[in-house]
Amino acid sequence: MPARPSLKRVPRATFLGRAIAGNLGALIVGVKYFIDPNRITLLYPHEYIKLRQGYRGYIVLIFDKCISCASCARICPARAMKMVTMEVKDKKLNRAMKKKYPVINYNRCIFCGYCVDVCPTEALYHVPYHDLVYLNMQDMILNVEEFQKEPEFVTAKEGVPVTYVFDEKRGLVKVSVEESSNQGSSSQPAGGGGSS
Amino acid sequence: MSAQDSSSGVPHLPGMEVRPVERNVYEVQIGPAHPGSGHMRIIVELDGDVMVRVDPDIGFVHRTMEKLAEGRDWIKNIPLFERMAILDACNITLPYVEAVEKLLDIEPPERAKYLRTLLCEINRIASHLYGMGIFGVFLGHSTLYMWAFGDREVFVQLAEDLTGARLTHSYPVFGGVRRDMPDDFPENARKAVRYMRNRLNEYAKIFLNNPNIRKRLEGVGVISKTRAAELGIAGPNARASGIKYDVRLVEPYEAYPELDFEIPVFEEGDSLARAWMRVEEIRQSLNIIEQAVDWLEKHPREGFMHDKFWKAAPKLYKDVYEGNIPYAGKYRVKLMPLFATLKVPAGKAAARVEAGRGEMFYYVESDGKDVPYRVRVVSPSFRNVIAFKYVMPGHRLMDLPTIYGSFDYFPPEWDR
Repeated sequence: MPARPSLKRVPRATFLGRAIAGNLGALIVGVKYFIDPNRITLLYPHEYIKLRQGYRGYIVLIFDKCISCASCARICPARAMKMVTMEVKDKKLNRAMKKKYPVINYNRCIFCGYCVDVCPTEALYHVPYHDLVYLNMQDMILNVEEFQKEPEFVTAKEGVPVTYVFDEKRGLVKVSVEESSNQGSSSQPAGGGGSS
Repeated sequence: MSAQDSSSGVPHLPGMEVRPVERNVYEVQIGPAHPGSGHMRIIVELDGDVMVRVDPDIGFVHRTMEKLAEGRDWIKNIPLFERMAILDACNITLPYVEAVEKLLDIEPPERAKYLRTLLCEINRIASHLYGMGIFGVFLGHSTLYMWAFGDREVFVQLAEDLTGARLTHSYPVFGGVRRDMPDDFPENARKAVRYMRNRLNEYAKIFLNNPNIRKRLEGVGVISKTRAAELGIAGPNARASGIKYDVRLVEPYEAYPELDFEIPVFEEGDSLARAWMRVEEIRQSLNIIEQAVDWLEKHPREGFMHDKFWKAAPKLYKDVYEGNIPYAGKYRVKLMPLFATLKVPAGKAAARVEAGRGEMFYYVESDGKDVPYRVRVVSPSFRNVIAFKYVMPGHRLMDLPTIYGSFDYFPPEWDR
């Protein structure tokens, strides 16, 4: 059934009714939330959000799966991913040869995930965290060795993992990860994947 | 044009408007505030505290999206365009994708259409809540700001569950979408919908029916139906003035023809009507989300990418979708490598959708290469900004934030 226009009117009331009912209504709602506030603030870094699998976070390379097709570098809209030439030993041919592998510059990356989605061998994957700190901009340009390691997630060592679950009375409710897994509210496990 | 001197003897640059200044009229420049929030300057001439002339001076940050698009591959323009209005990312990029699909002569499968519609409506709610929050700030009503941004989080979370990113989803791609919904999405979406329906009544109590706020909104910034049509105002602002125009109504796209919903229209045309308009639109968007989720749940998980692309996909792509690779996630639709080097047949196409703030129009021209020859964007905020010049004069200075806020005006959007 297609959309249909419907004429609405702004609710009107007499001045007296509006002044009394309007003020009272606003006050009652205010008092309700004064007594029973709904706070969703995250006390970062004492708490951190455990993101679900599928979140487009930092990217890791699985070296052995890479076939040097350069699709990831070709599709990168921010030109953050480049191919570098490396000398590797080919296991099948048993001789040294030059191949190209991707490296990433996190100064430019916009986390669109195109590189991961376009990789024909699934040699790239996302880790489900995004709050990393680098000490200088040079550190954000990774070489092939660094690109293969999952970045160090310091917050996970210091804070308590929490997650937000949907609630029809309170919108989002912040719960610890253990609680949420007991409730069975998150069907997909949060956490990164294992590398090769 | 030669340089002229103003009445005060200050030389003006060529091209600048020179006008005589009345004795009792003084000029106040409001903004620009912050490149992210509104890099616009409003030049206001005041007689006492009554505005006699308002000149919205747009154009401080020219990001030249249209020109940048001419140097990028077709698919790379999707993340580029969504940066125009990052809070409404799916609605902003969808017409571009639709226009390119017209050139490629493909149509997405039905499931992809529903998924796109779902994200568009989630984005519309998030966008309206953002607008309402900023409106609250303009009026000094910080409760509304906190509430609207807190509730927006619910829908941003839904979008994150669906797409993997909170704001820059880059969700629709040529021929389909990038991901199917997770298993627990329908349940979460229904909870969010029920929560928001109740919450809208509280919004009405604490904000829209609050006598203090009504005093500032009622009868302020009235645009008649004729005036709105004359100025070419788009979206909820036009509908608040009684114009029954909505792209979903006149030219339904994606899954909208199959969904049952209303297009609310108000006749008052004042700031209060524009604020109510947004609340009513959120209500209708909640209905659409419910219907879309019901449909997606009932139908099998197949058809999220056009056959032309999906038939060429190797087995690994199906493994990724089904979650057989442990680290790769589930229900992810992999992009075909040909997307990276896509060549679009020569031709011209145009597409439009109803974005959060109004009609979003794209004209795309291809000359058969791997980059567009021309992309022209017409965004709703650009069409709405002209209203400031005609609506504000006659009001007092403190009505300026009221009118500005009620228009839900988002400067980065026109800056294309």
